[in-house]
Amino acid sequence: MILPATPAALVTQKSVIELLYDVIDPELGINIVDLGLLRDVEVEPDGVVRIKMTLTTPACPLGPYITDEIHQILEQVAAITDVDVEVIWDPAWNPERDMSEHAKKMLGWNH
Amino acid sequence: MRRVFPSRLMIGALGGVALLAGLWAGLLLLKLEIPSPRPDFKEVHGPLMVLGFFGTLIALERAVALGDRAGYLSPASAGLGGVALAVGLPILIGQLLLALGGLGLLALYIGASNRQASLHLGVMAVGALSWIVAVLAWIAGRDVALLVPFLAGFVVLTIAGERLELARVIRVSGAARIGFILAVGIFAFGSMLSLATVSLGVRIAGAGLIALAFWLARNDVARRTVRQSGLTRYMAVCLLAGYAWLATAGVLWLSFGALSDGRAFDAMLHALFLGFVMGMVFAHAPVIVPAVFRVAMPYRSRFYCHFYLLHASLLIRLVGGDLAGDRLCVQIGGVLNEVAVLAFLASSGASVYEARKSQYLLITKVKEPS
Repeated sequence: MILPATPAALVTQKSVIELLYDVIDPELGINIVDLGLLRDVEVEPDGVVRIKMTLTTPACPLGPYITDEIHQILEQVAAITDVDVEVIWDPAWNPERDMSEHAKKMLGWNH
Repeated sequence: MRRVFPSRLMIGALGGVALLAGLWAGLLLLKLEIPSPRPDFKEVHGPLMVLGFFGTLIALERAVALGDRAGYLSPASAGLGGVALAVGLPILIGQLLLALGGLGLLALYIGASNRQASLHLGVMAVGALSWIVAVLAWIAGRDVALLVPFLAGFVVLTIAGERLELARVIRVSGAARIGFILAVGIFAFGSMLSLATVSLGVRIAGAGLIALAFWLARNDVARRTVRQSGLTRYMAVCLLAGYAWLATAGVLWLSFGALSDGRAFDAMLHALFLGFVMGMVFAHAPVIVPAVFRVAMPYRSRFYCHFYLLHASLLIRLVGGDLAGDRLCVQIGGVLNEVAVLAFLASSGASVYEARKSQYLLITKVKEPS
């Protein structure tokens, strides 16, 4: 899907995160926002989006797949001039702290 | 357009050669009257499948995850080792290359642990160690059949570590973690013991496999994700079926406790390597292929065809053949096992092709002058 041109000023941290709900971990069927993998999302005035994220483990084979998906989705927005995804390991991903209530519910934490 | 990495494709192709050669050797072991490249070709069926194919792909996956160029030496060595065995170079060349591949994989896990140490990485590292022990014992002159506990150790511990890692998302209790360590520990201890006393070692390793299968059936996230749809459900179905085969393999290892040719051996090996391990490959291909080769491989409901064929043909082989003592059923089941693997390759390849074609059409349409 090609999104309509959006003025750079309208690309906000919130709108970027909104788009990232479409990046899904296929094994869990849950998106990376609810999984709590995002650490920081920054939108610069010139339309460059800088994302800091983590993965569940350094040996995670899905890392390149997920960063690819982020690029694919964000680069469809005309006002986003560049996407920079940095994977960081500190602090380590902690499901209890990082996952949203929605994700926990989907994975049966209440049972 | 996604960037394609030719070096990864080449390494993947080496694994593919090992797989095809391994399948050919498998047909010879089924005693089909087909040409054999050389008299001892069928002896390398196990190392080709487990190290040349699974080993190359698993190491490639890890190298991609770590993102360090030197990391590719591991899958490249394993892939070349598989090809060396396939084409009939002096066997020591293949063995040494495979040993290098295992060492490289161990180094990859050490690198990952330096970033973030964890129990699951430790378990996978023991899996890599198991690969190395298997090859060293082989170089030292041990019969290939006696390497099975270590070849199994490599894949079983790798998969177990991965599943433990994912199980964190459903909140694994302290007691469950201890249960996991016990199951894996029993299996690893049994495998080690098989070097000294085959019968007892294999039986203990079998008990470990049963414990691990129960742990996975109880704690794996697949129990939850099987209620979803599409790819997520397909993966969960493949995993749960795999755990049933893992338990079956454990019961067989525990009951027979031997590593010599025959019906029991055929069942012990293929419940594990085909039912469990190949099942995992079927499950993860739609995720790993895009991650490693940067090509889209959309999920298709037809993926269930090779899934059902694999498990049905395995039932024919083990129940109709090995259990009932009917050689023809072993052959029919065995050939259909291979058809399932080839169908998996064809179906996956077709999915990649379809996706590329539709992407190409989209791009040319966008570029058309209005």
